[in-house]
Amino acid sequence: MKPAFRKAASRAAFNLGIALTALRVNLMRSILTTLGVSIGVFAVVLAVAVGSGAQVSVMGAINSLGSNMAIVFPVPDDEGGGSVAERGRLTMRDAVAIERHIEGVTAIAPQLRANVQIVSGGRNAATEAIGVTPGYAQVTNAVAETGRFISEADVRAAARTIVLGRTVVTKLFGDYDPIGETVRVNKVPFTVVGILEAKGSNLGEDNDDLALVPISAARQRFTTDLPLGPDDLRILFVGIEDGVSLGKVKREISRLLRDRYRVRDGEGSPFIIRTTEEFMEETAMVTGIFQAVLVAIASISLLVGGIGIMNIMLVSVTERTREIGLRMALGAKRSDIRNQFLVEAAVLCMIGGAIGLLLAIAAAAVFQAQADFPVPIGVGTAIGAILFSAVVGLLFGGWPAIRASRLSPIEALRTE
Amino acid sequence: MTVPLVETVSLVKEYASGGGTVHAIAGVSLAIARGEFVAIMGASGSGKSTFMNMIGCLDVPSSGDVRIDGTATSAMDSDALAELRNGKIGFVFQQFNLLPRTTALDNVAVPLIYAGVGRAERQERARAKLGAMGLGDRLDHSPAKLSGGQQQRVAIARALVTEPLILLADEPTGALDSQTSEDIMQLFQSLNDAGNTIVLVTHEREVADHASRRIMFRDGKVIEDTPVTSRRLVKP
Repeated sequence: MKPAFRKAASRAAFNLGIALTALRVNLMRSILTTLGVSIGVFAVVLAVAVGSGAQVSVMGAINSLGSNMAIVFPVPDDEGGGSVAERGRLTMRDAVAIERHIEGVTAIAPQLRANVQIVSGGRNAATEAIGVTPGYAQVTNAVAETGRFISEADVRAAARTIVLGRTVVTKLFGDYDPIGETVRVNKVPFTVVGILEAKGSNLGEDNDDLALVPISAARQRFTTDLPLGPDDLRILFVGIEDGVSLGKVKREISRLLRDRYRVRDGEGSPFIIRTTEEFMEETAMVTGIFQAVLVAIASISLLVGGIGIMNIMLVSVTERTREIGLRMALGAKRSDIRNQFLVEAAVLCMIGGAIGLLLAIAAAAVFQAQADFPVPIGVGTAIGAILFSAVVGLLFGGWPAIRASRLSPIEALRTE
Repeated sequence: MTVPLVETVSLVKEYASGGGTVHAIAGVSLAIARGEFVAIMGASGSGKSTFMNMIGCLDVPSSGDVRIDGTATSAMDSDALAELRNGKIGFVFQQFNLLPRTTALDNVAVPLIYAGVGRAERQERARAKLGAMGLGDRLDHSPAKLSGGQQQRVAIARALVTEPLILLADEPTGALDSQTSEDIMQLFQSLNDAGNTIVLVTHEREVADHASRRIMFRDGKVIEDTPVTSRRLVKP
């Protein structure tokens, strides 16, 4: 060890010793002061964790849509005006053109959607029926757990076949296997051919509360809010190969649709195209803001805790003015006195921070068990919390420490 | 000619007080040589303690200078003064000023920490000094478990542990009974006999008579500076 380093280490150990002694002597006071920082760190750590949990949850919701994809739908009426909506009717021919002409497209999932009432025996379930083609399974990673998926033949024949989500099955049949049963969808009989593998829920959104029918059957049998032409789609999912730029595919789809509908440059597109990547980014931004707001609010309690530290350090300096004078007489430099009180404040805050962290970990575990909502506290957050506590100590202990170090030796010594 | 250990040059200390100026020290020039045992006397308010604090570099003069071992201190910053106090000056106080809840050994080692001495050497030197003060069996006692005389011995050990050039004692027997006072004065005398330079502030004639030179202060000025003729030597 270099002498300078050993000297510094020796002084640091010495200051730590003084700090621990001082804290032990005023144990009750130390505990109460620490409590303020504990509560502050508890609040901040939980805020960070809840924010991360929200992010994880929303990302999960996006992932459950399927892997990389673009979603295409016409501009809603109230946003683009009636004429644009008319002109911008998304059709099956558009979908086929996208699949055929754009590189990196793995599958397309053209859809119609309707809210329906499904009845079986005495039970009924209100859910969303989605008219799909077999491509839906590929784009959204949907798998038939038992039975089969909607087939090409179903679509060609506009067959009255239906694949049910787990939630719908439970509502209508309980534990009974309904394959082959007939259910009435908006009073039209459909035959159950398959059950979808459960995807669970994210942020209260149940991913298994749905029913799939052939798109052709949906067009014939269900009424929707807009009158539909024989070829119209309500929404189109475009599956995209891994590693292909979603932004590039989006631009190409946009150009293709503009060409097909002869939209002039400078004119708004009648279609909205969103990619999973954009959802991710927007989500990250929104949850990031959410998290920042939470942390900002929680920080106020940490600020209050810090002020408590400052207060108690000022008391400590006043009480020990004579000791400060003595130490100066014995050769302590201003920096020695300053560091002594800084270390004391930092140690106080770090102990408080550690307690707050443990409380937060316990609360997160309880919360997670009760609310089925992830509240992750990572190692980084934990280390950050402790270091941040130390910084709070240095910050709020700084002024009292500097005040102590500026005392005149003789005036400090004369203090009773 | 040898350089005096402590030399004051036209030393002045003023305080603003209720619109007027109080001259605590009103121009004092004197020199203390190596090996002297000086008693500074005077009534309370005579400036004796202020003078002591300034030659101990605890207080800064309004004008004039204090030279320690030939070095002027008026231009020194607070760090340099701290180093000077640490290395060249040992303080003994009336109220002992030991750190509570800290063992005698650790109390004595404090100045060595500020001198940057390593732990093992600190312990060894502190132990040796306490042994020399006859407290070899009280190393682990906290001040509360020691008598007044023992506490003052710990304080003297602490003052001497850095081997300072001069020992400054401000009313070192002021809080002690007469028998213990005699013991402490005997200790100072033997330290002086061993070559230590000592400056002692007291208002008691009997205490001052242990010294070899007596300086009387009144109204911030030296009114008498004489060798002690009938020196009171305590028989060991």
